[in-house]
This record gives sequence, structure tokens and C-alpha cells, in this order.
Amino acid sequence: MTNPVPDNETARDELLQRVELMETMIAEGRKSTARFGWIFVMWGLIYFAAMGWVVFLPFKEWAWPVSVTVGILVGVIRFRRMRAMGIIGNDRGRSVGVVWQAMCVAIILYVIAAGASGHGNQPAYYAAVFFFVGLAHGISAGILRWGVQGLVAFVWWGCGIALFFFNTRNEVLFIFLAAAFFGMILFGLYAMMLERRRAAALVQGQVQHHA
Amino acid sequence: MPELPELDPVVHGKLRLAVLSLLIGVEEADFTWLRLKTGSTDGNLGAQMLKLEEAGYVAMEKRFAGRKPQTLYRMTPAGREALARYVAALKQLLGGAL
Repeated sequence: MTNPVPDNETARDELLQRVELMETMIAEGRKSTARFGWIFVMWGLIYFAAMGWVVFLPFKEWAWPVSVTVGILVGVIRFRRMRAMGIIGNDRGRSVGVVWQAMCVAIILYVIAAGASGHGNQPAYYAAVFFFVGLAHGISAGILRWGVQGLVAFVWWGCGIALFFFNTRNEVLFIFLAAAFFGMILFGLYAMMLERRRAAALVQGQVQHHA
Repeated sequence: MPELPELDPVVHGKLRLAVLSLLIGVEEADFTWLRLKTGSTDGNLGAQMLKLEEAGYVAMEKRFAGRKPQTLYRMTPAGREALARYVAALKQLLGGAL
């Protein structure tokens, strides 16, 4: 053990420099922690934007392809940036990521096939998409043992079931927006809040509280 | 007069302290990221990481990301305890300065 007793200004300054170094590095680490809540918020907003385009703007057949492409591009760019910064998730995070990637591929293939074959406007078509999203939330909730995400899975499944019984244009729109709001935006904001709290707790709880 | 606490020399080293402070906020980090954040060289960082490993404060794992080898570090419970003790000792030594 070493004991640089701060009996003079130099030793004291050195210790204060150490404190400053720790604060800087802890802040750097916190900035770099992998965070995923934003994805849900982003996709929720994209759903709203695409629906808004379909309802209020011309060239509505382009609403979903353009919105989804923008979402995928933003996601890819942000993930590449996170990787370039050296941010690494853990095994559970990677497992959850694979589930969502598989779901994205499944939905894209499904939407293209349904659209190309002329089956893209039936309630069962929309409902299937809801069940896909609910399934991804459900598996993710199981991997992370996260009850709130399990509830979100049921929101999507519930909305999927509702589509079979309430399927006028306005009802479909209402159910879709409700699922996007509760199952994506609100959940994403909640996840972001937890991530921020968790990052702060990691540092405060493990360093300051122990001290 | 109360006895002044001692500072753990393994934690006290500037680069080692920087690495431990980085690792406490993340679950795991790779060597390149640690080098980037600390502005250190490969050789120096490698030597300091070895010291932290020998002290049992960090655990190392080698992995492949595709074809690219990765050296990952995570903080051990002993490392967390050591850092917490170090902060407590610093507080005591610096008194009202913190």
C-alpha cells in the first residue's frame, strides 16, 4: 500500500487530479454505454409518420417503403457509430438484437409478398404484423426477464386480436396508432429512462455509495 | 489523531485508475476502446491491464467478432471493491476538498 499523505500542496494536487481523472473517465464510460430505448421511440414515430402520410399526403403507396427505409438507415448508421466507438453489448443484448433483426427480415418479406400478391389490405394481414412484433417483444422479455416488456407483447397481441373484430378503416387506424404509441413510443421512453437511471446507479451505487 | 488511510498502489496508478473508472460504467469493453479513451499506447495499456488482471481487479476474455479477434475486459467484484475502498480513502485524505 502507498500513502501519499497530503501534507503539502503538491501531494494534495496530485490526489485532486486523480479525482478529476476518475470523474472524467466515469463520464466517458457512461456516455458510451450501449442504449437501445431510442430504437423503440424512433420506430413508433416512424409508424405515426407513415400513417400520417397515408392519410394526409399524396403518393401514399410510397409512405411505408420510404418510412421503413429511413428507419432502417438511421438504425444502421447509429449502430455503426456505436460499434466505431467501441461500445460492446453483452451476450443477452446480442441475443435480443438477433430476435429483432429476424423479426425485421420476416416483416419485410411478409409485407413484400402480401403486397405483391394483392393480399396487403386485409385485417388478417395487419394482425399478422402485430403478432410478429408482439412475438419479438415476448421473446425479448423472456431473455431479459423483463415483465414490462412482456406486458408490451400482450399489448401488440391484444391489438392484433382486436383487428379481427374491429376492421373499418378508422378502427384499424386507431388500433394501429394505439399499438405504436403504447407498444413503441411509451415503452421506448420508459426504457430510455431506465437506461439513464441504471447508468447513474452503476457509478453512484458502486463508487460513491460504497465510499 | 485518526490514522490516515492507505491508497492501493494498483488502483492509484494513473492509467490503471482511468481504466477502472471507465470499466465501472460499462459491462465490458474491448482493448481498442480502452486505448482510445485513455489515449495510451498498446504497450503501456497492455502492461497495465496485466497488472490489473494479476491483482484480480479485471477479467480478460478473448473472442472473435467475425474474423476479427477482440480482447474484452470486465471489472471483477474485487475490482469494484478496490475502487470503492480507494474512493473512500481519497475522501478521507482530502477531507473537505471533495
